[in-house]
Amino acid sequence: MPVRTDPEDSEATALFDFAGDLAGKRVLEIGCGDGRLTWRYADRAARVVAIDPDADEIAIAQEDLPPSLARRDRVVFKAVSIQDFEPVEPVFDVVILSWAL
Amino acid sequence: MVHALEKIRRLLRPGGVLVDIHPPPEPSSIDVRIGGQLHPVGWLRDTDDYGDYEAADAALATIVARGLFTVERQGAFSFLTHVDTPAELRRYLAEEWENASIDDVTTARIEEWMSTSERDKEIILRESVRIARLAPIPKA
Repeated sequence: MPVRTDPEDSEATALFDFAGDLAGKRVLEIGCGDGRLTWRYADRAARVVAIDPDADEIAIAQEDLPPSLARRDRVVFKAVSIQDFEPVEPVFDVVILSWAL
Repeated sequence: MVHALEKIRRLLRPGGVLVDIHPPPEPSSIDVRIGGQLHPVGWLRDTDDYGDYEAADAALATIVARGLFTVERQGAFSFLTHVDTPAELRRYLAEEWENASIDDVTTARIEEWMSTSERDKEIILRESVRIARLAPIPKA
């Protein structure tokens, strides 16, 4: 079997507990990496912008887009740091700092 | 880091929340599970990252002290990584966690437990990860 990272879903469970209901929310995830956490909550949010300065990781995240999130415009990945990130609509309901500070 | 948090505050709408997830500057524990039994074998250290985690804690403390955010809740959860063999663990660390180190005693214990004939066994890395919910404080 391959390496299993958080098969217990502890991270997403804690996120839902702390972030509250994501329904209808605009979420910014900083430090999304390869989208490991993103895919576990994205279907609950209205829109997700997930950023990471590592372009290779972002490429993996985009490649791994699950079929359940076929509406690609609902989840947007960007290879950019928070310092350089300038969103078109700079308003988010939830910001997730994902192992990123 | 403080600048990043200031920017996040600008990006949050009133009533929005920041959820910060990061590990503490502490070693991760390693267990070997054989059947239904967990055997603690030692620790994985990544001292290169500890400075970053301490700086993250300091940055959060700074923005709270400056009245930009308030901490609404704090907690922790266990983040587990499961691997099936010592070789797989070495590969995983080399690819994903290059600054991590496991001391010789821990390595020997892993090898010893994993050499048993029991088929249902695995190595488990356990990180205790901090999570906090912070709310921006509106400008007066």
